[in-house]
Amino acid sequence: MSDPMDPMAEIRASFFIECEELLEALQDGLNQLEDGGEDTETINVVFRAVHSIKGGAGAFGLEALVRFAHRYETVLDEVRSNRLVPDHEALKLFFQAADHLSDLVRACRDDQPLPEETSAALLDELDKLLGDQTEEEVQPQDFTPLGVSLDLPGLSDLDDAADGSDPIPCWTIHFKPAFELYETGNEPQMLLRNLCALGEAEVSCDIGELPGLLDLKPETPHLAWTIRLTADVDEAEIRAVFEFVEGLCRLDITRDADPAAAPEAAAPAPMPDAAAEPGDPRPATPSPAPEAAPKAGSAGNSSKSVVRVDLERIERLVNLVGELVINQAMLSQSLESAGLSPHSDAMNGLEEFQRLTRDIQDSVMMIRAQPVKSLFQRMSRIVREASAAVGKEVRLITDGENTEVDKTVIERLADPLTHMIRNAVDHGLETAEARKASGKTEEGHVRLTAAHRSGRVVIEVADDGGGIDRQKVLETAVRKGLVPSDAVLSDTEIDNLLFLPGFSTAGKVSNLSGRGVGMDVVKTAIQQLGGRISIASERHRGTTFTISLPLTLAVLDGMVVDVAGETLVLPLNVVVETLSLSSEDVQMLRPGANVVRVRGGFVPIYDLGAMLGYRPVRTDFTGCIVLLISLDDGHRAALVIDGIQDQRQVVIKGLDDSFYRAPGIAAATILGDGQIALILDPADIIAGNGPIRVPDRSLKEKRADHG
Amino acid sequence: MALRDQLRVMVVDDMSTSRGLITQALDAFGIRAVASTSDGPSALKALESSPVHLVISDFNMPGMDGLQLLHALRTGARTKGVGFILITGKADKAIIEKGRQLGMNNFLKKPFDPSDLRACIEAVVGRL
Repeated sequence: MSDPMDPMAEIRASFFIECEELLEALQDGLNQLEDGGEDTETINVVFRAVHSIKGGAGAFGLEALVRFAHRYETVLDEVRSNRLVPDHEALKLFFQAADHLSDLVRACRDDQPLPEETSAALLDELDKLLGDQTEEEVQPQDFTPLGVSLDLPGLSDLDDAADGSDPIPCWTIHFKPAFELYETGNEPQMLLRNLCALGEAEVSCDIGELPGLLDLKPETPHLAWTIRLTADVDEAEIRAVFEFVEGLCRLDITRDADPAAAPEAAAPAPMPDAAAEPGDPRPATPSPAPEAAPKAGSAGNSSKSVVRVDLERIERLVNLVGELVINQAMLSQSLESAGLSPHSDAMNGLEEFQRLTRDIQDSVMMIRAQPVKSLFQRMSRIVREASAAVGKEVRLITDGENTEVDKTVIERLADPLTHMIRNAVDHGLETAEARKASGKTEEGHVRLTAAHRSGRVVIEVADDGGGIDRQKVLETAVRKGLVPSDAVLSDTEIDNLLFLPGFSTAGKVSNLSGRGVGMDVVKTAIQQLGGRISIASERHRGTTFTISLPLTLAVLDGMVVDVAGETLVLPLNVVVETLSLSSEDVQMLRPGANVVRVRGGFVPIYDLGAMLGYRPVRTDFTGCIVLLISLDDGHRAALVIDGIQDQRQVVIKGLDDSFYRAPGIAAATILGDGQIALILDPADIIAGNGPIRVPDRSLKEKRADHG
Repeated sequence: MALRDQLRVMVVDDMSTSRGLITQALDAFGIRAVASTSDGPSALKALESSPVHLVISDFNMPGMDGLQLLHALRTGARTKGVGFILITGKADKAIIEKGRQLGMNNFLKKPFDPSDLRACIEAVVGRL
């Protein structure tokens, strides 16, 4: 409510944010219902989500949304009151309605045209579930409002209302535990708690007998309690609370004549007491009650307090922290070059500064992290729609929904993941008949999981379908001229053919996944996120696609190296070791193809300087330094470099779209001395497998920049 | 001093949008002493230390619904006489009848205009 200009616009914006949460709760609830969790609370949650969306939509005059939500809610109400038991088909309809509801919400939010035909069709379906319904509502004029007498300005008289015909008895209980009570292991707190459970209670602790610290005998009890209890109970019920400590304490119970009378409580009551001083007019300012509900005992998991922050503000913070990191690196370099001793105060202080900077950076990155749950929920919709389109029964199983990933990664993962899920449903899984014939359940399974693994996020899409038909894949690749007809390929190599541009095995282009978008597009999208994708497939058992992504797109632990006078950065997490080559280490397979012997194995050599177009190919590698790198898919490579400068954290600066997308180059960064360095993507370099073409123009420009 | 300057109101609704809308409307009427909570139990707890004249509560809330809250208010010595307005998406006969029995002062059906809310409040506490 910070914008005094238009508070309604702000409430409206917050309504749509709240809708996203409600839609998520709706999805969750429906998933639980589908899993057979038909407890009343689940259906209540589902009902309430739709109901709340309807309520808010009504306030903003979103008629179409109200109309649809109302019908949906009415059907759910039937389920809630056990007049309708949803079968498989009904649940399917509920999911569709939920999907449609979220479409409507988003269309309303973005002022887009509403998908009215879908609304109409679904409304018809929902109507079929309803019998003849006549809603009987009470009109406001049929209800006679009941006035209250307000004795303003004080509220002290509110209590006098209790003077009515049937007053609730008020008790004063004095309770003083004896030494034996503690000795027998009884806990006064438990007793007081049980007492409070009887009704409204005010507990005050009498510390009058508490001696000074020096005279305090730890074994002697000094405390007594006075409890004012307003409860419809008799004395026996109160005594029952103290049943087990009878004789171990002093207990006086008296019933007050008038509940409104101020108690002559011995000790000053620590609890605020609205009725204690009737003469005192209450201050006009309200003591604000908490907006959310972080209080003890309030509704379960929703009580975690949350602040909504504009993403732009976070972006600014992330950028600023990025600058801070660069600044800190520059400062550190200039101090070093000023010849300061590493043990000087300034250098020590800088070290501390460095650690703090890193902590701040980590914390800021955490703000951007989001659970993948929203993404997974979108995928469950994709599965529903895709399976309906190809007429297969498919169940999506998700795991690791709470895994947190950078928000941008989540957003940019939606498209490739959608494509992979569609592929899994369309191509991965067999038809129900085929599954039955091979002894599987008719219902196919697609498993979507996320997990953190060694500083990266790993997302898997696995189906229990027929697996990759490698024979067919190879034939297709040969026919399309992607591989020579006499090529002998390993299983992994054949699987990886799926990622080649322009590859499609589907005999006929289905209306689902065959949209001219192949797995190569998926792979490119993943790579742009700094991720990698791999396949594992087993005939008749299924196929698993594994995506491995960095946790954040903003920083990178890098190794700064020199190649042909250029400064380049390699992601540190791929570097296994560094080697200095001697003449007998290197073996030439054929001109331009060399391998290095590393502990009995052979690793191909990639001459970075030549691949990036900085200089001609070397013929002699003796004395060269190579970085041995290992990729997620197990591939290893030896990258020839001229020297290693440093290991450090670099801030990733994305290359603008106006730059030519050079293969092998992931992004750029600014180093401590202000120099710009390119960040390499080793997997891309190896996948390119040969000299990478870099246009001379951009290279010259880059050199010119450096002066 | 006008009534609106002294009236203290508590808004109870699980949806922050609704709380915002009601609070916004009350503010427009000149009622400044408005507290809000997202559920019945925390409303009851807040009322213990800072009582109000009028509670405006949603019906459909998780855990404790509006009528359960009303019941708890009416059985609490301190909150017995508080004014209670129920806001409901559906003025279901059974709900309204039960509300009447529990001593509900008035009800309002969603969606409503601020003027509806004003009339509804004035019917209970008098001219603002």
